[in-house]
Amino acid sequence: MPVEVILPKVDMDMSHGTLATWHVAEGETVTKGAALFDIETDKAAMEVESPASGILRAVTAQPGDKVPVGAVVALICAEGEVWDAPVPQTRVALGQPEASSISVKPPAPVASPTQPAATLARSAAPSVEPLSDPRPRATPAARQAAREAGIMLEDISGSGPRGRIQAADIVAPHVAVTGWTPEYGPLHVTRRKGQGVPLLMLHGFTADSQSWAPLEKAYPDRALIRIDLANHGRSPRRRIAGFKELARMVVDAFDDATRDLEQVNVLGHSLGGALALALADVRPRKVSSLVLIAPAGLGPEIDAAALNGITRATRAESLAPWLRRLTATPEAISDDYAKAAMHSRKDSALRAAQADMAAALFADGTQTFDLRPALGRLTAPTAILWGRQDHILPQSQVISAQGDFALHLLSGAGHVPQIEIPDRVARILVQHLRD
Amino acid sequence: MNAMTDLRLMTYSEAIREAMAIALEADPTVILMGEDIGVYGGAFQVTLDLIDRFGPDRVMDTPISELGGAGVAVGAALTGLKPIFEFQFSDFAMLAMEQIVNQAAKLRYMLGGEASVPVVFRLPSGSGTGAAAQHSQSIEAWFGHVPGLKVLQPSTPEDAKGMLLAALADPDPVMIFEHKLLYKMKGEVPAGHYLTPIGKAAIRREGTDVTIVAGSIMVHRALEAAEKLAAEGISAEVIDLRSIRPIDHATILASVKKTGRLMVVYEGVKAFGVGAEISAMVSESEAFDFLDAPILRLGAADAPVPYNPDLERAAVPQVDTIEAAARRLARREV
Repeated sequence: MPVEVILPKVDMDMSHGTLATWHVAEGETVTKGAALFDIETDKAAMEVESPASGILRAVTAQPGDKVPVGAVVALICAEGEVWDAPVPQTRVALGQPEASSISVKPPAPVASPTQPAATLARSAAPSVEPLSDPRPRATPAARQAAREAGIMLEDISGSGPRGRIQAADIVAPHVAVTGWTPEYGPLHVTRRKGQGVPLLMLHGFTADSQSWAPLEKAYPDRALIRIDLANHGRSPRRRIAGFKELARMVVDAFDDATRDLEQVNVLGHSLGGALALALADVRPRKVSSLVLIAPAGLGPEIDAAALNGITRATRAESLAPWLRRLTATPEAISDDYAKAAMHSRKDSALRAAQADMAAALFADGTQTFDLRPALGRLTAPTAILWGRQDHILPQSQVISAQGDFALHLLSGAGHVPQIEIPDRVARILVQHLRD
Repeated sequence: MNAMTDLRLMTYSEAIREAMAIALEADPTVILMGEDIGVYGGAFQVTLDLIDRFGPDRVMDTPISELGGAGVAVGAALTGLKPIFEFQFSDFAMLAMEQIVNQAAKLRYMLGGEASVPVVFRLPSGSGTGAAAQHSQSIEAWFGHVPGLKVLQPSTPEDAKGMLLAALADPDPVMIFEHKLLYKMKGEVPAGHYLTPIGKAAIRREGTDVTIVAGSIMVHRALEAAEKLAAEGISAEVIDLRSIRPIDHATILASVKKTGRLMVVYEGVKAFGVGAEISAMVSESEAFDFLDAPILRLGAADAPVPYNPDLERAAVPQVDTIEAAARRLARREV
């Protein structure tokens, strides 16, 4: 009896998902638990595992197809097994593309008439309507230009045939307004040699890889991989349209950095914590365990004044008061520390790029991205650390979040426990990280 | 060499004849073979009077058997001669496929490099002469698929001479597809011995909006189309492929990266042709990211070349069809 492969429900309010890619081609052998295909919802992308071992047959959904939750998208058959083709359910009726996405109840799979196996290949091919494909049509040059300019193709209307986005449609970002020029290239990655499954670290907004130094000292043996986020440290200055794009760049850098590794542990702080969650969501098999320090994305509230103050400050005197919001007690930030911090922010282009990025990610003083669904889906062992005196992100956000994770509420720490109390954070890492 | 005094205006067939005469004079191992190339002067009068100048031992008429003639040429090449074998029509090369594909192209490989087959095949090809389906084909792409061969398509008298001399200097079999409609075309040709590099395309017109890759007579049609488009402010770059095997990837890719739009124009049947190879090559290359429109192929209709002159004209790319397609591509309408 063939095993049906269905489009799973990965989100509470999900009625459809877009099949992004098949990892296995029709007719190929797949083992139970192996990555079978990727789906994209409005909120996330994720891998779906094969429900059984066997040969992939009767694929009815192609990349780009929007499929109702619960629909059969393929069958897993045994060698030589005869099967009936499921009816493809890739599309809602033309002319009412929104109708079914409002519906909360997924339509039940439709029973299919029995067909002889020999006619299957042809009859199972879905008739995809390119007009209603939600993905943007764009030329390779336009895609490259958008990538380099940090512009989402979804935000652009194309001037080419059938709305195709062409290179000329990609308008350069507002260089004159912000006073900085976009740069190209991958995110900056550094490594520390050491033992164990490497720990990949994602810093927070306005920090950089060097901000991990106190923690690294307290945690000397582990192999480390550090990624500088866009507009931070030595990574390119880019216009960032939103969190999704930032996450995509991190995923790209992650894929490059971990190509030869079976798994890594991932540590993220604040915005880096939100990115670590997004990463674990789309690369679940690569992430051995996850440690999040005061992760962003678990609620709308954020201390926008501190963010603005830090990105705007041009002198140590104006930076220091805002830095002191980061820690449990203001005394933790000395005037000399503020001077050193200002020195690392002396590049006005960096400050302008970060201010633009803050405007996109934290528009109107709100966290515009929500990682709570991803947190609920996590499969890797996860620890969340939060300073009890965090003034930037309220710890109430994690208390009310759903998901399976160990929670460490840290006394005497604010928003940056890895700097305030590195030894205690390192101890938790020792307990939690896998080898 | 003084370029001013040494450039003469001559026809494509005169340039080929001059190349053969230079080779016959300079190298006693060079011989000409083919049907009616002696007293008759060749089906298209390319060898003309060479039999009078070099005698029947070196300008040899072969019997009406392409397989036999090509076989003797390949055998002669194996023994150290450098035969130039003329087919009356490139279509007739099909009769000699065994000798070209199975023998000439493979012997160096199969004999571990101990032997080579320095034969040159000359193949009058293309449509436009009212010679119907069996005498009007453009089958150069067939041979582009065969490792061991070099496949050339000169588009000018200068290249026709330089490529033939380069083919003779090459130790392996070279096929030169000469276009029948180009034989009477005049152009400046340098005097003396010179080589046109094999595998190097030529940019015949520089442009920025669209790249047109063409071969043989299509180069001239593309240039004429480009001239008309220039009046509309469309800047087309025209690349003369010159060599189908090997293909000059670098020149094509550099141009595509510049213009973002590519059109391939060729006289062979569109499907499975030169355009497919170039299109796929670009898609696989680093130039892919620079494409700002689908790649277009303009080739012959999916039918035998018609005898009716109007249909014959309609069956292959012409100046107006090239112009229209390039305009749509440049205007982003494709």
